[in-house]
Amino acid sequence: MTIANVSRRDFIKTSGLATGGLIIGVTLPPMASASDAHVDNATFNPNAFVHLQDNGDLLIYCGRCEMGQGINTALPAAVADEMEADWQRVTVRQADGDEEKYGPQGTGGSRSINIMFEPMRKAGASAKLMLIAAAAKVWKVPPEECQAENHFVYHQPSGKKLSFGQLANIAATLEVPTKPTLKSVDDFKYVGKFIPNQNIHQIIKGELTYGVDTKLPGLKYASVVHCPVYGGKLKSLDKSEALAIKGVLDVIVIERLEMPFGSLGGVAVVADNSWTAQKAAKLLKIEWERGPHGSYDTKSYKAQLVKNVESPAELVSERGDVTTGLKNASKVVKATYTGGHIAHSPMEPNASVVWVQKDSCEVWAATQAPKAIQDTLAAYLKRDAKDILVHVTMAGGAFGRKFKCDYVHEAAVISQHINAPVQLTWTREEDMRTGYYHSISAQHIEAGIDEHGAIQGWLHRVAFPAIGTLFNPAQQRAGKGELSAVDNYPYGIENFRSESGEAPAHTRIGWYRAVYAIFYGFSFSSFSDELAYAANKDPLSYLNQLYDANNNPDQQEQAKRSKAVLNLVAEKANWHNRDKLPKNQGIGLAVHFSFSTYVAMAVKVEVNGEDIKVLEVDCAIDCGQVLNINGATAQMEGAVVMGMGLALRTEITFRDGAVVNSNFHDYPVLRINEMPKVNVHIHNSGHKPTGLGEPGVAPFAPALGNAVYAASGKRYRDLPFKPMSI
Amino acid sequence: MDKSIIINGEKYPIDVESDMPLLWFLRDHLEKTGTKFGCGAGLCGACTVHIDGVATRACITPVGTLAGRAITTIEGLSENGDHPLQKAWVANNVPQCGYCQAGQIMNAASFLKQNPNPSADDIDNAMQGNICRCGTYQRIKKAVAEAADELAKEVS
Ligand code: FES
Ligand code: FES
Repeated sequence: MTIANVSRRDFIKTSGLATGGLIIGVTLPPMASASDAHVDNATFNPNAFVHLQDNGDLLIYCGRCEMGQGINTALPAAVADEMEADWQRVTVRQADGDEEKYGPQGTGGSRSINIMFEPMRKAGASAKLMLIAAAAKVWKVPPEECQAENHFVYHQPSGKKLSFGQLANIAATLEVPTKPTLKSVDDFKYVGKFIPNQNIHQIIKGELTYGVDTKLPGLKYASVVHCPVYGGKLKSLDKSEALAIKGVLDVIVIERLEMPFGSLGGVAVVADNSWTAQKAAKLLKIEWERGPHGSYDTKSYKAQLVKNVESPAELVSERGDVTTGLKNASKVVKATYTGGHIAHSPMEPNASVVWVQKDSCEVWAATQAPKAIQDTLAAYLKRDAKDILVHVTMAGGAFGRKFKCDYVHEAAVISQHINAPVQLTWTREEDMRTGYYHSISAQHIEAGIDEHGAIQGWLHRVAFPAIGTLFNPAQQRAGKGELSAVDNYPYGIENFRSESGEAPAHTRIGWYRAVYAIFYGFSFSSFSDELAYAANKDPLSYLNQLYDANNNPDQQEQAKRSKAVLNLVAEKANWHNRDKLPKNQGIGLAVHFSFSTYVAMAVKVEVNGEDIKVLEVDCAIDCGQVLNINGATAQMEGAVVMGMGLALRTEITFRDGAVVNSNFHDYPVLRINEMPKVNVHIHNSGHKPTGLGEPGVAPFAPALGNAVYAASGKRYRDLPFKPMSI
Repeated sequence: MDKSIIINGEKYPIDVESDMPLLWFLRDHLEKTGTKFGCGAGLCGACTVHIDGVATRACITPVGTLAGRAITTIEGLSENGDHPLQKAWVANNVPQCGYCQAGQIMNAASFLKQNPNPSADDIDNAMQGNICRCGTYQRIKKAVAEAADELAKEVS
């Protein structure tokens, strides 16, 4: 990590940042993950900037992408706190897509907080020391006699004070201190408190602009119809009726771009407004050649996955001796769990503006990965990635979808074709039918227990099309990396074997909020509940027993922290008094560790016949130090909503290679009338902060399933529990 | 016949194809983007505006049918963002990404006019047509209830 005074650097002038005042840049060390491997250490490339203007305004440029998860509130709070700045004077700016300047910007995997917290604190602490040094210089007093507080520096002995704004230009001429000391956690004023959303005042007035809101002079509007089948092709096109509509400018065929985030291929209509483009697109007469995946049918595919996990599959990991363990067990329990495809469907559909000119290409997009846009467009346009300028806008939700930039690629194709800036907005139908989907999956577990319920052997088979198929379509099954959460599950299991069954992809598979934790959380936490009943144990004490049985020294922290959130949530949900509930009510528990964060949930339900009503949800979280209680609570409330939607109803169905769902009437996401009361309990373990954007989604479905079982004796093993028949 | 429409108190000619939904008239023709596109089919509520005070889905309302009518969008709900609902939204920190929130607030504003003293069930029923994928429902419920109390105080 490097922190530098870049107030006078030339590149600031060309960067789009305002000049004047004190500007501090922060670079992060290169990170281990593959997508981050290209960080260039030879030159100074700040990942974030802290800019104190001479009028006192504090601008913080953040290279991570905001999509409602609150990163643009939490990280600046860390800066302001260390700097002793006034939060009211802080404005957060979304940085343009430029990894040379900001380092890795891909925002996913709930890592932003984890990676950037400490560096942002140091930047704030450095700025504070520089402001103090500047004041000391003006007053000709030793810096030790000065203090910073609430956007001023004070000299107690003489009673003098100067504002941060007055000091900014002087501080800009000073050296950055080498070892700024950080505040103690107890002294934080903003961090760890309830910080309001940075954008809230703009949002409630309709003033915050998203990708879909970009306007430029001369802007043209487009709508696209994709080939409904992955890998299919255009056979014939009759565009005469579409072209006859007043206001339609052109109809353009978009070829499939065989890159992970390139277009599926389709036909676009350009017009002088979005509505005309959409209306004309409906009049296109298109025949598609369905290609190799033209018979994909999720119902039969899922049945095949079940077969593949209910018979021996390819070995992934093994420890101890499962066969003997199962043979010697006093009881063997077997169960198969499945889950369907799901679609992200953020409220803001995919949209971007692209303007391709002879020697420039400019993009305005809600994106989680500006670098992917640069790479994809560079490959398509045969230009240098550096020459693709990406302006990152606020995203109206993303959940993993906006990591992929097929919609930006398509806008570039259209813009190039008509030689004008183009806004392409996907319809909801296209968003739902031609997206990147969470993997459909099957898992089969066989476990043997002794008379105390102790696990003697655990065989875990999975089959799901992996995200790796985006990059290598020939991948036939999930591999070791994709099973690592299974292999390293923190229950104490000595005799263990994991296997992976065949599961080729017939559509584009993509990261969805919480990713594989959705179905791993479901299988582990549902199955342990089944084991508890098989062993005649209280599920809570049985779960504690499973963690206690873990004597792998590398997993002690995981076991301990998992138990802590579990027991906290059980206490808060009044688990021990659950026999006082009416007969048709029940509480279910689940714990899941993912993205370095621990989450436990207790779901209380009432079951009447087929009807499941979720009454209340308690969540206990350990994400290390919490930066913003408001944001953390909001993330958990949102995770419950998303978890509940996918547990109960949402599923993407394919027939004849194409998605059958089309809009929110047949993809019934959760609505307000089903919203249970959610209580969030934070377990402060004092560890380093970790992310919360995703991990909350995983434990909901199994906790719900376990609750339904407790209330009614009915066990749900297939996600969603109540699919809509379409 | 005078083919014009009043939006947030200002008069605009309806000089587009009459089947264009109000949503796109606002967003693309007038470049007022506070009203959002979510589904285009009346299913999500993101595009909710008031037509003569009543919450309406702009994505399925052709602008040609609105000559002489008064439209209020989120930009025109209050002078300074100080409608009791907007204040309650801030006090309860409702938004996450914020995309659905204009529609939520506009829907709630019209609803509270019709039912100034709603029960929790009334709120659920009234707000059911507005989807929030970020999952801010718990805070919406609370904010609507608080705004109702506030409005009741203003009236009495
Ligand atoms: S956009 Fe109008 S209801 Fe969804
Ligand atoms: S706040 Fe993001 S969709 Fe509602």
